[in-house]
Amino acid sequence: MDHCASVLLAFPEAKEITDNDVYHKAARQHVQKVERLIKENAATFGGLAAQLLEHVNPSINSISYLALLQTLLLRDKVPQTNQPLLSAITTFLMTFDPRQIRYVGAALSNLLALIGEGDLFPASVAVDLLATALLRIDPTGSMLTSHHISLVNLAYQTDNIEPIIPVIEKSIVFYPGMKGSSDSRHLCDMQLPPPAYITPETGLTAKLNSSSVLQYDLLCGLCFIARSSWQQAFDALERVISYPTKDGICSNIMAKAHSKWVLVGLLLTGKTPTVPTLAWQGPQKAYGTLGKPYTSIGTAFEQETAETLNAEFDTLGQQFWAEEGNLGLMRLVLAHYQRWKIVGLRDVYTKISLAQIRTLTQSAETGVPLATEAEVLELVLGMIRDGMLNGVVEQPEGQPAYLTFLSPTEELSEAEFGAKMLQTAQRIKNLEPVVKATNERLGTSREYLRYLVRDSKNKDKDVGRDPGFGGFDHSIEDEDLMSGVLGP
Amino acid sequence: MADPLLEFFTVMDGQGGVVVKDPPKFDLDLYLQNYRGRTRFDRLYLIGRSSVPLCVDALKTAISEAKRGRDPQRYREVVECLRIAAPHDPESIYDQTWLENTEVSNRNETHRLTLELKGYKNNLIKESVRMGNEDLGKHLESIGDLNGAAEAYSKMRPDVSTPKHIVDVGKHLVRVSLQRREWGMVAAHMNKMGGNQSPEDEKLLQPYIKVVQGISYLGQERFLDAALSFLAADAAVPSASYNDVASQNDVAVYGGLLALASMDRKDLQTKVLDNSSFRQFLELEPHIRRAVTQFVNGRYSACIATLESYRPDYLLDIYLQRHIAKIYSEIRSKCIVQYLIPFSCVTLDTMNAAFGSLEKPIEEELVSMIRAGTLQARINTIDKLVTAVSVNPRQKLQASALETGQSYEKQAIDRLRRMALAAADLELKGQRKMTPHGMNVTSELMYDDSALE
Repeated sequence: MDHCASVLLAFPEAKEITDNDVYHKAARQHVQKVERLIKENAATFGGLAAQLLEHVNPSINSISYLALLQTLLLRDKVPQTNQPLLSAITTFLMTFDPRQIRYVGAALSNLLALIGEGDLFPASVAVDLLATALLRIDPTGSMLTSHHISLVNLAYQTDNIEPIIPVIEKSIVFYPGMKGSSDSRHLCDMQLPPPAYITPETGLTAKLNSSSVLQYDLLCGLCFIARSSWQQAFDALERVISYPTKDGICSNIMAKAHSKWVLVGLLLTGKTPTVPTLAWQGPQKAYGTLGKPYTSIGTAFEQETAETLNAEFDTLGQQFWAEEGNLGLMRLVLAHYQRWKIVGLRDVYTKISLAQIRTLTQSAETGVPLATEAEVLELVLGMIRDGMLNGVVEQPEGQPAYLTFLSPTEELSEAEFGAKMLQTAQRIKNLEPVVKATNERLGTSREYLRYLVRDSKNKDKDVGRDPGFGGFDHSIEDEDLMSGVLGP
Repeated sequence: MADPLLEFFTVMDGQGGVVVKDPPKFDLDLYLQNYRGRTRFDRLYLIGRSSVPLCVDALKTAISEAKRGRDPQRYREVVECLRIAAPHDPESIYDQTWLENTEVSNRNETHRLTLELKGYKNNLIKESVRMGNEDLGKHLESIGDLNGAAEAYSKMRPDVSTPKHIVDVGKHLVRVSLQRREWGMVAAHMNKMGGNQSPEDEKLLQPYIKVVQGISYLGQERFLDAALSFLAADAAVPSASYNDVASQNDVAVYGGLLALASMDRKDLQTKVLDNSSFRQFLELEPHIRRAVTQFVNGRYSACIATLESYRPDYLLDIYLQRHIAKIYSEIRSKCIVQYLIPFSCVTLDTMNAAFGSLEKPIEEELVSMIRAGTLQARINTIDKLVTAVSVNPRQKLQASALETGQSYEKQAIDRLRRMALAAADLELKGQRKMTPHGMNVTSELMYDDSALE
């Protein structure tokens, strides 16, 4: 046991290793040593592992700790009942050293996958653990991994959305399997961009295909919809519908996302959103055909009376919307119709009586104006509370109540404005490492180098070309020589 | 007498025609003196079908006008109208002998002219062929075969030899297109007419071109272009050169009204009132000048009142009828917008006094104008005020600066993402296989282009 402990605790050494070269070598050796140790003592090691766990610090000796956990998990037939093991896993995932675990990516992935299946922990704990672990592996959160997809799936299916918000809020700009992501630097270099160490080779992610990427964004959208974060949901769905495609095809996920995207757009802005210009031609055509019920809902939503919207909803019937999986969203759209019309009144009125609001706007749920002024009052007050409407309801004595629209946004002071601009600038600056990584990756890609070589060759040719007859011949070969010769 | 009239106008209304109940201010005979050619009948026929007070008179004059010509179809149409409007009138009975005689002589004439033309063609004399075509075209036009006329006229074109011929061909074709209400064709024929003439001829032709151009723009609802065309017409040239299309009075009315609908106060002053050539036209229609002056001087309600009193007249005009509602509503909204400019806040009562009427309060109109974006104002229905919207440039700038930053960030991320997707070879690809029927089938993906069509 002492021998085991000494091997396990040998790395990292007490004093910190600053040199990446040394660290890299030591870490790889340590991984091999631990593997050998487990293999050689296969018979006894399993029994010792539980004890050894207490002597190894998960945040310092992460590689060793993970190996112990793996051994224990292999041995235990029903690990879900093993309370000490579960708590050890929890501690490990919350505290592991992100630098070390890059060397044992496959083992970590196995552990994460096991949790992702949802049997080991209750779903709420599993989701929380996975989210924390993913952000510890890659604090920038800019790289999509296979774990992201199973995490979002689990969270959405079990309705534990809150913990994954920090993960799905991050903008994804890297994907596994990008060409030219290999880096000559060592895995332990903390300056490495995520795609250099989160690769199928290091085991920290599996390879992905396009439909899982699409699925991830769609699920993100659904999670945001569940939280009523319309802007974020809209952005996520827009990523799906503008996904790059070839051969003019469109996948089912994209069409599904488009229908939700239209409805979310209505909730967010009160208008039918226009398909982003970056969207590919083929899908755009498909949206035009398949999205017809939704675009006509959009047109109906923009009309002054609720009749058409109500009729559009009823003609297709509840069942249709339920089958499309959009009944809930549709109900929200209907509920929001009147709200948007009231907001629209701001463009015409500064003050308006509630009675007038009642006659001017209709509820799309029924297709007729609200029955009483009290209902209007309730609706308006609700909108003011939600921050959708900037106004106040006043009720002078003996006179009917009225709504005053306050001016939309107060002018910002110079300082406030400056601060906001700084924030934006900072966010753009934060993109710099990503841009740098992308630039390096593209700059060293085979295609680009080939292009450069060809380009420089062409230039040489241009310089060396004989300016005499050959050049002349070359420049006129496209012209129609006959016209000049045979003309009148 | 009242009953058949009522019945007649119910029919007209049902056919989508315009019915004008108020008597116009003009005198039918004097009005008619301004025109010559087929437009006389067209105008009479339109007045007969639209104006309640002038109905029978106009239709009867139209009958005699038709009988003077050789177009049996027109005669039939107008007698048919009169038969409903005034069944007891002696003129409402077909003059069968005239009809038969005309039809026979028309047929003979067509036959004769066609034969003649054939002869000319065989002799290969260009000038004769041209004249033969022209005669045939004129004949066909006068008997109402406008398609045939247009064809014959356009056949003149290969044989023209002088600039005057070109102008003649153009005029013929324009006239036919105007009768067929093909505004695009009018413009096309106009384009072929210009150029290569002596300056004097050019000058003589100028008002014709401008007037016809204006009418064709009016037909296409391009009011500003139309107004500019009419305003450019030269008043010094006698109206005989264009009175088969429009009279000088018409030029004044069209030009003035359209300018009111499409120009701002400054342009109205410089291009209409200070336009020495157009002033001569305006003198024929002093109330139009009055309306323009009132608008320029800011007396908007007076301007609208002047125009309203002449609405029946304009509704009986062959070219204006269809557009008058739109032109008037544009003038009206311009008046309202102009009225509000100097104020930051106006009470609804004042607005009502200036523009509204008892049965039609101004508020609804304001709402639709604000919604359409023509009026930058807000209504306060509690204190009965209309307030102008002030733009805060600073706030606008701030908002746009922040938005630019945000959209830049979003675009940057989006582009990076796309590059990464391309590099990882993750684009959505169809795994196409050709089936025996040549259809594209994607295996993993649900559908593709061919499945959508």
